[in-house]
Amino acid sequence: MDFSATYTEAELVQGLRARDQKIFSYLYDHYSPALYGVIVKVLNNDSTGGDVLQDVYLKIWRYADRYDETKGRLFTWMLNIARNTAIDILRSKSHKLEQKIQNITDDVNAGSGPLTVYQSTDYLGFSKILEKLTKEQRTLIDLAYYKGCTQEEISRVLDIPLGTVKTRMRNAIIQLRNILNK
Amino acid sequence: MDVQRYISSGILESYVFGLLPESEQGDVETAVMQYPQVKAAVQSLQLDKEKFVQLYACPPPAEIKDRLLDILRREGTQEGNALLPQELRVPDPVSNKRIRETPVKQLNGQKKPSTDRIWKYVAAAFIILLLGSVFMNFFLASRSTDYKSRYKSLIAAREKLEADKEAQSLTSAGAEQKEADMLKDPAFKQIKIEGAGEQLGHVVTVCWNPISHALFLMAQVMPVPPAGKTYQLWAIHNKKLLDAGVFEGGAQMTQKIQEMKPMEDAEGFAITLENKGGSNSPTMNQVIMAASISR
Repeated sequence: MDFSATYTEAELVQGLRARDQKIFSYLYDHYSPALYGVIVKVLNNDSTGGDVLQDVYLKIWRYADRYDETKGRLFTWMLNIARNTAIDILRSKSHKLEQKIQNITDDVNAGSGPLTVYQSTDYLGFSKILEKLTKEQRTLIDLAYYKGCTQEEISRVLDIPLGTVKTRMRNAIIQLRNILNK
Repeated sequence: MDVQRYISSGILESYVFGLLPESEQGDVETAVMQYPQVKAAVQSLQLDKEKFVQLYACPPPAEIKDRLLDILRREGTQEGNALLPQELRVPDPVSNKRIRETPVKQLNGQKKPSTDRIWKYVAAAFIILLLGSVFMNFFLASRSTDYKSRYKSLIAAREKLEADKEAQSLTSAGAEQKEADMLKDPAFKQIKIEGAGEQLGHVVTVCWNPISHALFLMAQVMPVPPAGKTYQLWAIHNKKLLDAGVFEGGAQMTQKIQEMKPMEDAEGFAITLENKGGSNSPTMNQVIMAASISR
């Protein structure tokens, strides 16, 4: 996707801080599918995804002043808000760790297994990319990014020593980056 | 600090993918400010994370945008404020003040009424309270039983869903494993059988492993067979046709992997149209499609 067509990053930031509704609308049109994707993935297709997305965008609108350019692009900041909001909800629903894991393994078995011919075409490119990761690498990334598990939790759940979690996580992400940048 | 070592330690990956506890995030952010190399590494990781997340993108329900813009339009007003999530709401000083003032006025207005009248008011108030309480009792009692039944039906629905899910995962797990093995094993040969003439445009792909002898089939483009008929797959070996089992066609089967009978040797595959249930020997004038294995 090409986001630079209409506004530069600086114009977007400035516009958002100046509470420009046109900019807000642009940010919604261009980034909401990605943010919604994160929310849906964290909450396991929970029906509340739309409401959560709404809250996320209201936070983006209200907290624009808290955005710090030195920490990353605007989209990265928006992603963080979406992920953190969704994970807070996941936790407040008193999802136990075991339950999170259950969902992950379900995901691996049901949706993104190595052969996912029956998935909708939207996800075809995605599943192809995932084929090149091992099941463990996929689970690591999912647990860390989409379920907000800490290193200790991952170590306990996957029964890997804590020191190994870091290295494997790094390898998984390196592998993912290789695939993404091919 | 050894910058290269820091970059390759894995801490930056953990930081960008949200794996670090808050206490350690600050350390990384300090390093980003201090060392341009670290900053560049983090930025490129963030870009890749953005790409990764985009893979999961899916369009949200259409009405959300209108709802958002509506909230922004009414943002300054009191009811607009009420639409915001709790943590974003501006505290409302006006309504608080009103609540505090009201009782004071009432006390001032009721200066020194005669004792008679006070008792009349008190009695009336009690009667109203009593009636209200009786009414509320009925109301709440009926409501609570309603909740109970709704709760029960919710529990039942949940249990049913869970049972369904379990049954589904049991049946699909075996098949998935076979499919996974099939993809991983380089020994598998894919033979595309394309129709010609009357069968033009029809496609079946056969996956056969000469080592393990496993045989699968995907009827990618095959119509539903005529009533009372079925498709049957045959392996061609030494100019003979060996039964490899029957399979289904139709739109629902296009992406399903159908497991066929294991086959030890084959030079090619043929498809016939047989009577329902399949046949022990092929009806030769019903061979509709065939392909040989390229070696």
